[in-house]
Amino acid sequence: MNKRVKNSIYASPYVVWIIAFIIIPLLFIAYYGFTDGEGNFTMENVAAITQPMYYKALWLSVELSVLSTLICLLLAYPLALILRNMHIGSKGFIVFIFILPMWMNFLLRTYAWQAILDVNGVLDQLLAALNLPAFNIINTPAAIVFGMVYDFLPFMVLPIYNVLIKIDDNTINAARDLGADYFTTLRKIIIPLSLPGIASGIIMVFVPALTTFVISDILGGGKLLLIGNIIENKVKADNLNMAAGLSLILMIFIVLNMMFTAKYDKSEGGNML
Amino acid sequence: MKNVAKKIYLVLIMLFLYLPIGVLIFASFNDSKILGKWNGFTLKWYTQLFENEAILNSLRTTIFLATLSAIIATVLGTLACLTMNRMRKVPKSIIMSITNIPMLNAEIVTGLAFMLLFVGVGMSLSLSTVLIAHVTFCIPYVVLSVMPKVQQIDNNMYEAALDLGASKAYAFVKITMPDIMPGILSGFLLSFTMSLDDFIITHFTRGSGFDTLSTKIYTEVRKGIKPEMYALSTLLFVTVFVLLLLVNKKPAKVTERSKHAKIKKYIAAIASIAILVVGIGFGVTGGAGNYTQEVYVYNWGEYLDPEVITMFEKETGIKVHYEEFETNEEMYTIVATGARNYDVVCPSDYMIQKMIENDLLEEVDFDNISTSDNIGQQYYDRAKGFDPENKYCVPYCWGTVGIMYNKTMVDEPVTSWDILWNEKYKDSILMQNSVRDAYCVALSKLGYSINTLNENELEEATQLLIDQKPLVQAYVVDQVRDKMIKNAAALGVIYSGEAIYMQRENDDLEYVVPDEGSNVWIDGWVILKESENKEAAEKWIEFLCRPEIALMNFDYITYSTPNDAARALIEDEEIRNSIIAFPDNTILERCEVYNYLGSEGDDLYDSYWTRVGAADSE
Repeated sequence: MNKRVKNSIYASPYVVWIIAFIIIPLLFIAYYGFTDGEGNFTMENVAAITQPMYYKALWLSVELSVLSTLICLLLAYPLALILRNMHIGSKGFIVFIFILPMWMNFLLRTYAWQAILDVNGVLDQLLAALNLPAFNIINTPAAIVFGMVYDFLPFMVLPIYNVLIKIDDNTINAARDLGADYFTTLRKIIIPLSLPGIASGIIMVFVPALTTFVISDILGGGKLLLIGNIIENKVKADNLNMAAGLSLILMIFIVLNMMFTAKYDKSEGGNML
Repeated sequence: MKNVAKKIYLVLIMLFLYLPIGVLIFASFNDSKILGKWNGFTLKWYTQLFENEAILNSLRTTIFLATLSAIIATVLGTLACLTMNRMRKVPKSIIMSITNIPMLNAEIVTGLAFMLLFVGVGMSLSLSTVLIAHVTFCIPYVVLSVMPKVQQIDNNMYEAALDLGASKAYAFVKITMPDIMPGILSGFLLSFTMSLDDFIITHFTRGSGFDTLSTKIYTEVRKGIKPEMYALSTLLFVTVFVLLLLVNKKPAKVTERSKHAKIKKYIAAIASIAILVVGIGFGVTGGAGNYTQEVYVYNWGEYLDPEVITMFEKETGIKVHYEEFETNEEMYTIVATGARNYDVVCPSDYMIQKMIENDLLEEVDFDNISTSDNIGQQYYDRAKGFDPENKYCVPYCWGTVGIMYNKTMVDEPVTSWDILWNEKYKDSILMQNSVRDAYCVALSKLGYSINTLNENELEEATQLLIDQKPLVQAYVVDQVRDKMIKNAAALGVIYSGEAIYMQRENDDLEYVVPDEGSNVWIDGWVILKESENKEAAEKWIEFLCRPEIALMNFDYITYSTPNDAARALIEDEEIRNSIIAFPDNTILERCEVYNYLGSEGDDLYDSYWTRVGAADSE
């Protein structure tokens, strides 16, 4: 038997799986998004995004997720650099430190932040004990960004760390020997070499932040609707067509993401691990 | 100096990552149900955890699901890597892009897509649908971990093995497998963790009788998370922490032998986690009794004394499958789409009317429910507002919507909804985060009916709610309770049923139904048309209407009971005659029942409410 034919036989269960459970569900979204409750074609669900209350929610989601992605990057990059230079332990250990919190359910961790940041919460009590003024960010956009940074920081640290430890020490030493100072080395050698990791990190943080509805619910006090909240509300109100229509708008971002990945993340298999 | 700065930075980040975990561990030893309010040390949540069937069940499901989906995803993903590696460039990159979609796509879109698929092809939501979804979103993580290892495979080794007489299978097991094993293991571990931590996708695809820890926690939010959940999370966390610490203790020198030893350690660790966790789960399962019948009950979260279920099962020999919902709308979607099959459900007034109009309910045969007379006639009369001939519903709980306020923070008498628009209380007001209750407040204040469909009146109410938004601290549902108890707010809109519990916890709180009027609501048991266990469902209602059972439930949930016989049994005179729990007619005359507004009416309210949601909060 032809080797290639044989290979495609082995590949077939997987191909069937991804067609049935990745491609077809997306077609269902498209079908619902472009039809009304009776199954007639309509653009109404998708066009809804032009109404102020929907595009404002989308815009707010974009703003907050861009901001939290930036903060994650600024926090994670130095962290990953420090971890790389410490050469401590195995790579597994670092991964372990950042994956471990996930064993405590993410809803619970977000609730814990609510208890910490709440009015008269743990933090306020602590500050009052030190005679310091209360720190009130709960139920504001700042609290939502805080929650996003907390929940998604590991997804920024790990990919960056994983490309950084692959950079050969000799490359860096060579640059230093040739007279580059620390920041020049960083700018000319380390950052360019770690771009694929940064790219994966940005996507891993930006997408979940853009579409969350839980964090805004718990830390935003229900005062701020993100696009995720609106879709969730539509599902709850049994308006699946509208939910699908708005999801189609969100899928534009996936296409953008795939293009972004294709541009920067040349290493096959990605850098998540 | 520089090193010190680096260390401080590391410590701060670690603090940031682990602080909430610390708070949760702390909470598991706290003698208070409220997160962040310390009442003293206790171990009782740990002992109660092992008696809490519902939590243990969801733990078992979570572990089972995570294990199974991680195994399937690992097998499929590894197979995909091995075959993709031999493909031509174009098909390979197409498959790779499709594989990555679930990872790049918004979780909410993936979840919704699965739900539409399953409902579309007529698959009822169940363990298998969640499993399919989990496997699908885990595969990209497996591919990400295995692919780099597959690309590093040295084919010459494999060929050499074949030349030396090894069979293909033997060569694969002995040569290829060990090379890619670290990738497979980390893929498995990552899948397992992802599945374990997932909420959104499970939320959209889960079926009847199916709760993972995440969805269980989300349901519990309505009534406050049970501290047993903190205890369980602490146990899980500490177990995993210790095990992974042991595995990672010594950075192995990279020799072939230590590599294998490390893999063995990983396998041992994963196996012991599995055994331990499954042990926690299964070790305490009581022996399943011999049940002759069963009944599927769908009720509000924390709306029944769990002890009642045990008593019912013991007496009747009917196995109870007990499920909880968070909102009427959520319940309706699930019952109406037939995604799950229930027998007996406990919706609110307007929702019962909607279900009657959509022909979802079966008439209740009151002759089979001898105890239904314990419910006061006045409640049946009130129920006629949504069930005109008293044919479908047996009232279970009732109450009013009003203002809870803190006497130390509010220095004027509270008699009107107007106080919720008083600038003085900016950022100290908690509003209800549900359409009907929010509009109840605004419409009552304006003197309009809370069931109005007049667009001018709704427009006015919407403007009022938008004006109020900058003053509101948060829009929540039952969290009003915890926040008020913790003195986090001065005023909150809440159901009368919570008031008794809240006053028990905090003396400074007082409840009032404003003079302009408000909503009086009734939740009642109804039997679904699709029910296959009608007899058992009737027995269930009969049991709950018994005075001593109704009293047990009243003590547990503190929501007013319409069961006059049970009310007569209340020992504490103050509660028996409380005007909060049992408001008199002068108050009730001012109150209105919610009606079902039709799907167009619902959409109308929904679109106005979305406008409030999108309005500026400053």
